[in-house]
Amino acid sequence: MKQFLKIFKVAFQAINKNRTRSILTMLGIIIGVAAVIMTISAGEGATQQVQDQISGLGTNLLMISTKEEHRGGINVRMGRPIEKKDLDILQKSSVWMSKISPLVAIGAQVIGAAGYVSTTVYGVSNQYFDILSREIVSGNAFTAEDVTTARKFCVIGETIREEIFPGQDPIGRQIRINKVPFTVVGLLKEEGEGTMGQDQDDIVIAPYTTVQNRLFGHRRGYNMIMASALSEDHILDAEIEATELLRESHRILDQDEDDFEITTQIELQEITGNVTGILTIILGAIASISLIVGGIGIMNIMLVSVTERTREIGTRLAIGARESDILTQFLIEAIVLSLTGGILGIILGIIGNQIIFKATGFYIPTVAYSVLIGFGFAVLVGVVFGYFPARKAAKLNPIDALRYE
Amino acid sequence: MPTKKVIETKKVSRVFRNGDIEVHALTDVDLIIEEGEFVALMGASGSGKSTFLNILGCLDQPTSGEYYLDNVHVNKLDKNQLADIRNQKIGFIFQSYNLLSRTTALENVELPLVYDRTGRFSNSKEIAIKALGQVGLQDRIYHKTNELSGGQQQRVAIARALVNDPTLILSDEATGNLDSKASIDIADLFVRLNNKGKTIVMITHEPEIAQFAKRMIYMRDGRILTDEIIKDRSTKESALKDLELTS
Ligand SMILES: Nc1ncnc2c1ncn2[C@@H]1O[C@H](COP(=O)(O)OP(=O)(O)OP(=O)(O)O)[C@@H](O)[C@H]1O
Ligand SMILES: [Mg+2]
Repeated sequence: MKQFLKIFKVAFQAINKNRTRSILTMLGIIIGVAAVIMTISAGEGATQQVQDQISGLGTNLLMISTKEEHRGGINVRMGRPIEKKDLDILQKSSVWMSKISPLVAIGAQVIGAAGYVSTTVYGVSNQYFDILSREIVSGNAFTAEDVTTARKFCVIGETIREEIFPGQDPIGRQIRINKVPFTVVGLLKEEGEGTMGQDQDDIVIAPYTTVQNRLFGHRRGYNMIMASALSEDHILDAEIEATELLRESHRILDQDEDDFEITTQIELQEITGNVTGILTIILGAIASISLIVGGIGIMNIMLVSVTERTREIGTRLAIGARESDILTQFLIEAIVLSLTGGILGIILGIIGNQIIFKATGFYIPTVAYSVLIGFGFAVLVGVVFGYFPARKAAKLNPIDALRYE
Repeated sequence: MPTKKVIETKKVSRVFRNGDIEVHALTDVDLIIEEGEFVALMGASGSGKSTFLNILGCLDQPTSGEYYLDNVHVNKLDKNQLADIRNQKIGFIFQSYNLLSRTTALENVELPLVYDRTGRFSNSKEIAIKALGQVGLQDRIYHKTNELSGGQQQRVAIARALVNDPTLILSDEATGNLDSKASIDIADLFVRLNNKGKTIVMITHEPEIAQFAKRMIYMRDGRILTDEIIKDRSTKESALKDLELTS
């Protein structure tokens, strides 16, 4: 124990005497650790952001649409359109779906007090707001009765309000959608950009009956039917149920394929999971490269100093150091440098994440496993390259270590 | 008066192998050195002096033969025991000093005590300062190696060799890098250490330095050629006078 303390002191002396080498070694470790933490965390942050936005789409979402096939650059509708009788059968018989709304979309010109704007008008039922978790900040959503009676009411998004009623309360105001007069009854809570970067506030929502009758001139089909499952656990049940009901409604024979498609949130998450998975792989590759670069840096410094250190080891052996004394000294040196460098690297990584957050607003959570990977690797490299050359030298005959060139 | 054998070698040989080439650096060397002797080891370059001294200093092992140091059969010891022998019984001085760079004289001299496992030394700093005093460097204790002259660095190395109170001091061309005046000072230092009872073996190329010793061994081709007592030993005064006459 006394011997260990003496060697401990020797190790600290050695670190101190060779300050430049010590600092360069630590720098390699610091940069390696910080780079790993920042890249992995950035990947994780991006993944989380995308997933949050998908969950924000409305929980337990199912989307039922006509089967389309991509042919020569255009989408060709393959199956029967989704229409009123499909909606009716779902509403009447479904047990796993709590809310159901059709959706018809049409591009339209909207004219308000301050000007006009081109946007998409969505025709939906009053349940749409619950399905997609869209809140009304001012006024009200239209009611089920408004839908049945096809009243010319609409709810608008913040982007639309800014264009046509800048700085004004839009509730109760008249607007014209493709020349048809509507009354604004509600204003949507701002949502910002969606998963695919689209503006979720550039929207006008009206009863689907009104949109079908007034804007399309008696169109029968829907773009899709949206529904929410009773709970997240029942999405699969709901999907199976919807499939059965629609096959019945479309009179599809047992051996024939579905002529419609059901997209659930799980599938969406899988798709974006793939995208963010690729992102994480790319960032992981960058992190590995920075680790390798940091590792090579550390290795270089260690190798450059091998001659000097081998002679130092020779000197120590010549005056009576045991092999174990040398090994202990170099192990302590390597551990102290790697740990210090590793901890400073963690601090730098966390600060770096904060700086990126402050500068870009992109929130990067410092994930625990990035800290572990970065720290573990750095300590490993530090110890391996600090310890093993020393071990080799300590096994030499003292005179060979002294003569080393 | 019965004397004690500090060194005894029996048919010590050292062969270096580099691939197919064999160099017989040392062949069947028999030698006895007793306590209190001061031996100068001379010979042409490549005659095997360093090879022999390294074996005596337990820095290297003979290929064959036996070596007894203080009646201990060194060839039978393991690595740790050899390290302890180097630490406790031998003070080795190199031509190139082999001090730790960027380190003070004091820290360099204290170093052997770091590896001492006998617990003989209670206050290593005090002992190291005393050793530096013995070589006349009491006012250079906190100077770093690179702030000292060659002669001063060699004296730090000698202080380091003395600090653990060794039985045997071995010096491989300690004065090889120094000028005549500094060399004479070092030789004189050896004489004084020898007068205090230290056994010394020093390699040198300079006859005037060898003349300070009591016994001279001349080597050639890895064997001892001559081994004789020096009759008219130099002193510091006589050597300095000779130096003045020649210059
Ligand atoms: N590590 C080694 N590998 C191979 N040959 C060696 C080694 N060390 C010494 N020799 C050879 O052994 C012989 C004796 O070398 P040594 O160093 O003992 O000579 P020396 O008498 O000390 O010479 P010098 O006065 O030049 O120092 C030389 O021929 C040398 O080339
Ligand atoms: Mg030599």
